[in-house]
Amino acid sequence: MNIAIAGAGLVGRLLALNLLQEGHCITLYDADSAYGEEAAGMTAAGMLALFAELESAESVIFDIGKRSIALWPSLLEQLGIPDAYQQEGSIITAHPQDYSELDHFIATLRAKVSEASEIGMLDAAGIGALEPDLSQHRKAFFIPHEGQVDAQRFMQRAAEYLLEHPLVTWHQCYGVERVEEGSIISGGKRRSYDWVFDSRGLGANVQLDDLRGVRGEVLWVDAPEVRIGRPTRMLHPRYKLYIVPRPNHRYIIGATEIESEDRSPISVRSSLELLSALYSMHTGFAEARIVKSVTNCRPALRDNLPRIEQHEKMTRINGLYRHGYLMAPAVVEQALNEGIYKMEGATA
Amino acid sequence: MTKILENGNEMWEIGGKTLSSRLLIGSALYPSPASMEQAIRVSGAQIVTVALRRQAAGEGGGNHYWNIIKEMGLSVLPNTAGCHSAKEAITTAQMAREVFGTNWIKLEVIGDQYNLQPDPYETLKAAEVLVKEGFEVFPYTTDDLVVAKRLVDAGCRILMPWGSPIGSGKGLMNPYNLRAIREAFPDLTLIVDAGIGKPSHAVLAMEMGYDAILLNSAIALSHDPVRMAEAFRYAVEAGRAGYEAGMMPEREFASPSTPTVGTPFWHQNK
Ligand SMILES: Cc1cc2nc3c(=O)[nH]c(=O)nc-3n(C[C@H](O)[C@H](O)[C@H](O)COP(=O)(O)OP(=O)(O)OC[C@H]3O[C@@H](n4cnc5c(N)ncnc54)[C@H](O)[C@@H]3O)c2cc1C
Repeated sequence: MNIAIAGAGLVGRLLALNLLQEGHCITLYDADSAYGEEAAGMTAAGMLALFAELESAESVIFDIGKRSIALWPSLLEQLGIPDAYQQEGSIITAHPQDYSELDHFIATLRAKVSEASEIGMLDAAGIGALEPDLSQHRKAFFIPHEGQVDAQRFMQRAAEYLLEHPLVTWHQCYGVERVEEGSIISGGKRRSYDWVFDSRGLGANVQLDDLRGVRGEVLWVDAPEVRIGRPTRMLHPRYKLYIVPRPNHRYIIGATEIESEDRSPISVRSSLELLSALYSMHTGFAEARIVKSVTNCRPALRDNLPRIEQHEKMTRINGLYRHGYLMAPAVVEQALNEGIYKMEGATA
Repeated sequence: MTKILENGNEMWEIGGKTLSSRLLIGSALYPSPASMEQAIRVSGAQIVTVALRRQAAGEGGGNHYWNIIKEMGLSVLPNTAGCHSAKEAITTAQMAREVFGTNWIKLEVIGDQYNLQPDPYETLKAAEVLVKEGFEVFPYTTDDLVVAKRLVDAGCRILMPWGSPIGSGKGLMNPYNLRAIREAFPDLTLIVDAGIGKPSHAVLAMEMGYDAILLNSAIALSHDPVRMAEAFRYAVEAGRAGYEAGMMPEREFASPSTPTVGTPFWHQNK
């Protein structure tokens, strides 16, 4: 089949990788260049926080997340970067005056999924055994099932892989105005395909009026004095902080969550909040270097859950919100399994 | 006087509007806009507070978020959350008037970054200016009677003393002070704002004769915001009905004042 994908962000790339395995001809359209940073998928920390995200999300994300975590290793294998996946668990901690946040956190998780009863509490010695650099903390939860994907590496390697692939045509810096049943409309011209996918993220808001952007700001720091190996969260009554380790003592610090589609640079207030929380986690961050700050918007629907829309010769996937890495592989799999394209796919 | 009833609730007036619900609800911290919308509907609240600063930073602000709240057809009470000086709060209030087309403003000037305790001096300064500019000021204050008096002198017709610090969920820490404010201003509109953690806290405040309750975290951070919104709806109604009905006096039975009938007096007080 001749298939077009509008939007080559996280969902678009996953779609392409999956469809190639079935031997389809793929045409990608993206408003940005293949190595550009417009996609939220390029901004993401890539955490696979199956449990921790339940603190403020519905329990359906749990099953979808579990499936995605099962799918990531083979996807990254396909791209030749299996080490971009890490699943060594994650740490959730808080300052002593905020311990009630930890209680509320675990109570919320347990109220939502029974598996949360397996999550154990660590004391200082337990924390020290896993993450010596965090041993000044007295109380934390350890969630063994959680992990992360190196988001930027995935996005970059997927771009290389797709650009090299003989069955792929990628129109870069090529904005799509509308995606309709069986066709892509760009520059006023309509092109027809056997099937089209709309995975433009927030860019699909011209056709999805219940889609909104939720601003998120992250900082990248290089901290040679700090050794933290697992994604770590600090709970606080007002701001939430996570620290996601990347190779060579680089850490992605995030992320704010603001109901706004503003994509201007990070504000002073957000920087102060993130950095003071960071410093309070580990004083070794004082001498870290801030190498980058990034702002992007998460594409979200009203229930903050993903949606697959199947039409005649067209599928739209959107609303991955703050859970693209946690959910997109399973959402894409489901979309491809249930699409009518499956039946016609037999003739491809 | 004829009472106007709606859903069994007596109507009341606030800032020029007549309402039946005495629950004011916040719009932050919900798991999603959809759960916010549902929780607000179930709560029966007719006034929703919204933070201008955080949500609408810069161009193309949180329009979707506003629209969801606007579509609900409720009165919006913008707040100055996140402001630390009178000047900031005044600017935020003026922006809010533009954005929301309302002269209502929940004045919140924070004096302590950690527990978000209001700064009485800056709050008063801002209130004086905003009242003169024609705002209906809903000042968030502590339960200090003198501060309350000063705010009333400045022209505030509504006061919103805290139950306890924002987000603490500790309930009414100083019922004595809250009662003193109620007694000092029998005709003023008084709303307990902040610190309410569970429905029983709301009942207590309403039983004291407070006109309304404003809350957010207690609903938004519960495991089931929609169910909790329902709980608070009933709590506020129950407390109000109790207040209107007039409570029987408490009695001390620990040491009887008269012999109990049927018990010989030499057996009393054993
Ligand atoms: C700060 C931040 C941190 C995050 N952290 C995590 C995390 O730790 N874990 C996690 O699971 N998720 C995280 N996410 C969420 C994740 O990034 C998103 O859910 C995911 O990227 C959404 O995927 P998408 O493909 O729908 O959109 P995107 O990745 O944004 O891709 C959309 C693509 O469409 C293109 N496009 C837009 N308009 C057009 C047009 N008109 N024509 C052609 N192309 C167009 C864009 O250029 C882009 O390439 C985070 C997001 C942010 C912003």
